[in-house]
Amino acid sequence: MTAQEVRLCGLLLREHFGEVVEKVGTHLLRGGAQNLRIIIHETGVPLDLVKKSLCVLVQHGACVFSSGRKGAGSPTEYRTSCDRILRILRYPRYIYTTKTLYGDTGELIIEELLQRGHMTMSSTVKTVADRLTQNMEGQYLSVCINQGLSKLFSLFLKVFLVLRFLFFVEIEYDKETAAVLIPPFLLEGLCMDYGEVSNAFSKLVETHFLQRCPPMVAAGAAASAAPATPATPGTPAAPVSTAPPSPESFPDCYKVPHMTLVGRGKRQLCSEDGEDQRNAKRAKMDSQAHGDEGICWQVNFERFHLHFRDQAIISAVANKLDQTSSEIVRTMLRMSEVTTSPTATCTKPLSANEIFRSLPPSYNIARPIVDQYLTLLVDDPMEFVGKAGESGGGMYVVNLHRALANLARATLESVVQERFGSRSARIFRLLLRKRHLEQKQVEDFAMIPAKEAKDMLYTLLAQNLVQLQEIPKTPDFAPSRTFYLYTVNQLPTARMLLQNCYKTVANLIERRLFESRENKRLLEKSQRIEAILASLQASGAEPEQLTEVEEMITATEKQQLEALRLHINKLDSAENQVDESIFLLESYINSTASTS
Amino acid sequence: MAGRGGGRGRRMMSFSVEAVCINRGESLPPSIQQPTPLFPVMEQKPLPLTGGEEAEYLLALKQEFRGAMKTLPFFIQPTAAKKDVERYSDKYHSGEQTDGVTDWSPEWKRFPKELRVKKPCRNGLSAVTRSDKPPLGQNNNNNKTDKEEVLLKLETLQKKEEPSSEEEEEEEKKKKQEEEEADGEEEYDEEEFEEETDYIMSYFDNGEEFGGDSDGDMDEAVY
Repeated sequence: MTAQEVRLCGLLLREHFGEVVEKVGTHLLRGGAQNLRIIIHETGVPLDLVKKSLCVLVQHGACVFSSGRKGAGSPTEYRTSCDRILRILRYPRYIYTTKTLYGDTGELIIEELLQRGHMTMSSTVKTVADRLTQNMEGQYLSVCINQGLSKLFSLFLKVFLVLRFLFFVEIEYDKETAAVLIPPFLLEGLCMDYGEVSNAFSKLVETHFLQRCPPMVAAGAAASAAPATPATPGTPAAPVSTAPPSPESFPDCYKVPHMTLVGRGKRQLCSEDGEDQRNAKRAKMDSQAHGDEGICWQVNFERFHLHFRDQAIISAVANKLDQTSSEIVRTMLRMSEVTTSPTATCTKPLSANEIFRSLPPSYNIARPIVDQYLTLLVDDPMEFVGKAGESGGGMYVVNLHRALANLARATLESVVQERFGSRSARIFRLLLRKRHLEQKQVEDFAMIPAKEAKDMLYTLLAQNLVQLQEIPKTPDFAPSRTFYLYTVNQLPTARMLLQNCYKTVANLIERRLFESRENKRLLEKSQRIEAILASLQASGAEPEQLTEVEEMITATEKQQLEALRLHINKLDSAENQVDESIFLLESYINSTASTS
Repeated sequence: MAGRGGGRGRRMMSFSVEAVCINRGESLPPSIQQPTPLFPVMEQKPLPLTGGEEAEYLLALKQEFRGAMKTLPFFIQPTAAKKDVERYSDKYHSGEQTDGVTDWSPEWKRFPKELRVKKPCRNGLSAVTRSDKPPLGQNNNNNKTDKEEVLLKLETLQKKEEPSSEEEEEEEKKKKQEEEEADGEEEYDEEEFEEETDYIMSYFDNGEEFGGDSDGDMDEAVY
């Protein structure tokens, strides 16, 4: 829990949950496990707000509670950790990945679960179905119903709508303000069925992207709300464990509950007479229980991280070698998805025959060519693929930890290159390869004149990217009789750069908040004018009124607004990009932690 | 260690000069006399951000997510600062804040019991009386309900005498079984009723009676 991490977590909490939760959260981060009274006393926040903040944090998995250290009678203690809060940076990436894998339905399921922390399956399905129905509706009602248009265009649009209804094809819609009267009978059928959403949910659970929250067993006493393990339900005096059980330690972690949920998504604008009957039916359905109460689902971030790691390896192979090799590596990773544990050093060995059979059918490659590609991959200095034996035409593994180390190394090298120039990067790479070098040797191997090499080395040393190792010849460390060797340690340098990344993101967020605060008045004015314009358009106004309202913003203000929007978008994109580096460095550091 | 170098003269330094490669011709860099600039000049300009469809979609997702989180009940606003003067716009602002707060009711089985928050209400009186009513309604202990309700009413309303409070208390007991809103309205009506005047309503004589009496006694002189 470094200072930079705590600062970044505080900013993320402030943006997503408000300042009260930020205060309570940062206090918990800095202070470790505390009970409720201490939190109230030290933060000075009123009791009910502290309770609400803790509820919000527990709901989103950022805070865990356990019975106190002194035994069963002591008050519950709350603990937060940085990791979970730092995941918030990666939410857009999770949502986008689900969209590429499971379409819009999956995307919305993950988005809902990320927004709400954890939810039961039935409530998720209902909310997502409603949103999808509204989205579908939105696409057609964006076609404004103001004036009639030519019959031909309206006919074309009718056919378009019918096709959409029948085949649910993912057609992109553009927001032209065409004008067509949409017959109500078409709108009736455009509801998202609960069954489809449940299918998408089940698929997500099968592939482990969603998991059940670990069940809580509240003991009789109010104070002891310790999470119970299923293995020891009978022992009354269970030892207080400081580490909460992971969701995977429960056998039912990935089992979809049997629930009865039949129906369709609700539409918000149901003002017609024919809808009243359906409204009555829906009201009845909402009140019934769906058979899965108490089973909450949460997003499984580890699984997403494995997916991102695989993507990174495949794209690295594609960049370094070619498309076919990356396809082979993708096939190998896909085959070992289920058999490899998350912390494994390398995948299970796969024989060349299996790989050849599992290649996608679109790749018509002959068997000997596949062998050649595999040999190339093994011989490559990046060492993504290794050979584990000769049986079955050669047994091959993907070296996951080594691949992560190489990716992290590439990140470090590119950082040095972009900050200090390509010659400094050459020195850095040299030191990474040759481990320890004297200054004279550095000049010779890097083929850089002595003076410049010295300057670059000192700059890198000042930035702590390069370390100095002293090897004395005599015990008194006399400078004339000591070897001074320059070296680069990859792991500590990676940790340092990771902290730099956290600081960078925190600075980006602060700058963005500063920009919004500076131009608050302008932003509010533009929002109000947009609201006025929208309401005028909805109620049908003449163009003169619209232009009159639009002119309330002067030209300079419009320019200012444009510049502000550009800046904020740039800062946001930069955060997303830095998060990619954060992911690589974090994965590398975690992989070394698990092996060592 | 420091003494050894100083005795031999200023030109010599405590470490070997050649090892650090400061040759004869060069001098040490000039000493710095002010803090380093806030944004030092960068020799290498950074690369531009990666654009493209994916980056834009991620950006849109991020901004939408942030906007959505602000509207959810998880976004907790700090309690409004105490107003110095009552302002006209307050009645328009007060509706905004309390909208989404109570919408979320977590599954209390997964939370420790001490975090359970009673449903907050604007009317401090009705909250406590509401929670008091079920346990107290069973035993018709007049003294207890009397004292508690009077104590509570003293916080928000002005002083009243015993009989009137009993009267209202009986009214409330009658309507105990009805829904809360009706209760709230009832109490609110009484409060409003009470607040307008300083006097006990039951003791107030309408002007009509007064006027009627005087009309009848026209022949007597009025002093």
